[in-house]
Amino acid sequence: MNYKAVILGGSAGSFQIVTRILNSLPKNFPLPVLLCLHRLKHVRSGFVEALSLKSNIPVEEPYDKDSLRPGKAYLAPANYHMYVELSNRIALSTEDTVNHSRPSIDLSFITAANAYREKLIGIILSGANKDGALGLKRVHDNGGIAIVQDPNECEVKTMTQSALQLTKVDFVYSTDQIISYLQKLR
Amino acid sequence: MAELGIVDIREIIRLIKSLHNYDFSSYALTSFKQRLERVMKLYALGSLESLLRKLQDDAVFFDVFLYEMTVPSTEMFRDPSLWRWLREEFFPQQTDKNAGKFKIWLPLCVSGGELYSLAILLHEIGMADKVQITASCISNKSIDLIRSGTYDAKKIEISEENYKRFNGLRELSSYYKPEKDYMVRNNSLIEYVEFKKLNINFDNAPQNVKLILFRNTLIYYNPALQEKILQVLHGSLSVSGHLILGIREKIPGLSTSRDFEFVNEAESIYRKKY
Repeated sequence: MNYKAVILGGSAGSFQIVTRILNSLPKNFPLPVLLCLHRLKHVRSGFVEALSLKSNIPVEEPYDKDSLRPGKAYLAPANYHMYVELSNRIALSTEDTVNHSRPSIDLSFITAANAYREKLIGIILSGANKDGALGLKRVHDNGGIAIVQDPNECEVKTMTQSALQLTKVDFVYSTDQIISYLQKLR
Repeated sequence: MAELGIVDIREIIRLIKSLHNYDFSSYALTSFKQRLERVMKLYALGSLESLLRKLQDDAVFFDVFLYEMTVPSTEMFRDPSLWRWLREEFFPQQTDKNAGKFKIWLPLCVSGGELYSLAILLHEIGMADKVQITASCISNKSIDLIRSGTYDAKKIEISEENYKRFNGLRELSSYYKPEKDYMVRNNSLIEYVEFKKLNINFDNAPQNVKLILFRNTLIYYNPALQEKILQVLHGSLSVSGHLILGIREKIPGLSTSRDFEFVNEAESIYRKKY
């Protein structure tokens, strides 16, 4: 296996896509999956439960310094940034919002790109602002794989288009293509 | 601006240790690096060398640096359900038990968001004269900002929403007045609070404390420092004293811990066992 983690970022219109992806991954998916999705700051519960319903792999909101394990999905908790430490652990943060967002997709992607370098797959999905564009650029600059959901398929195109403007990505994929790409990672 | 590498960060940490005897080597690296880069941007320090020189030559800057390296609370009344628990479960149990005031410690105040939330709560339930609060800070800048009531105006909107969910007695706006680009909170609320300057190891922690409010600070430490600081907090609490951490922070190995037990898992509230 050439990779150490997959990270997905999205906001408006991404929930269904993430649900479909989690529903299609094999139970023994060989990598940790990081999910940084914009969500309401003050609503702590419900989101992880909703994502878990149809997921083939366990989905959890990590505690600070939890170790990342293959075959598990980690959802950035409400009102925290989610970083990846070099020690392959999650680090949470309550630092300032970035692009009005906490969790910030940029920060999750940038820290994951620093920790995993070329062994990271970053995917930007449907969303309503430009968060994630800088982060995906860092994934690409560090030699990782940069994937963007096809804007024509997105409920809201802003996030994917911003990412495409900033980075010459490796793939522009439909949800089905993203799924089959991930399924082939063995 | 160039990104800081691990070697650069180690050099910064080494310099601070030798000059000021503050040891940041056990801070969680990712967020520490983020804040270093933020300080460099804020103070237009374009290179590692310029930051090192500033740390060496400018004593006033070092206090500001300490302030910037600690992270202010995101808002007042963050997690309203925790504040409701304090009002409805915790404080009512503390009234008649002991004659003396009971001690509350906030080990690391940066912007005073937690301190003012607590002071407003105590004011509203008429218990401000029953407690003795110690607020410790690592920078003079924090102490000045908190004492004068200065607060980031950007954080007011979400604080007001929280206060509504907390079901406070009044409007949050009755406790502050707007200035140009910041807010001034009514600092008579914290008149009785004792401010203490502490180093980052919390040496000389207060003793016999009944309640420690220490939310979302452990996340900036690595696991070894987390454990060390938890020991300090444990030593500071009286038997069955309460420790409140951030919602996604936890005490490792709690099920076998001889030190702490859960009071309320959802709100991250612990009690000292012995």
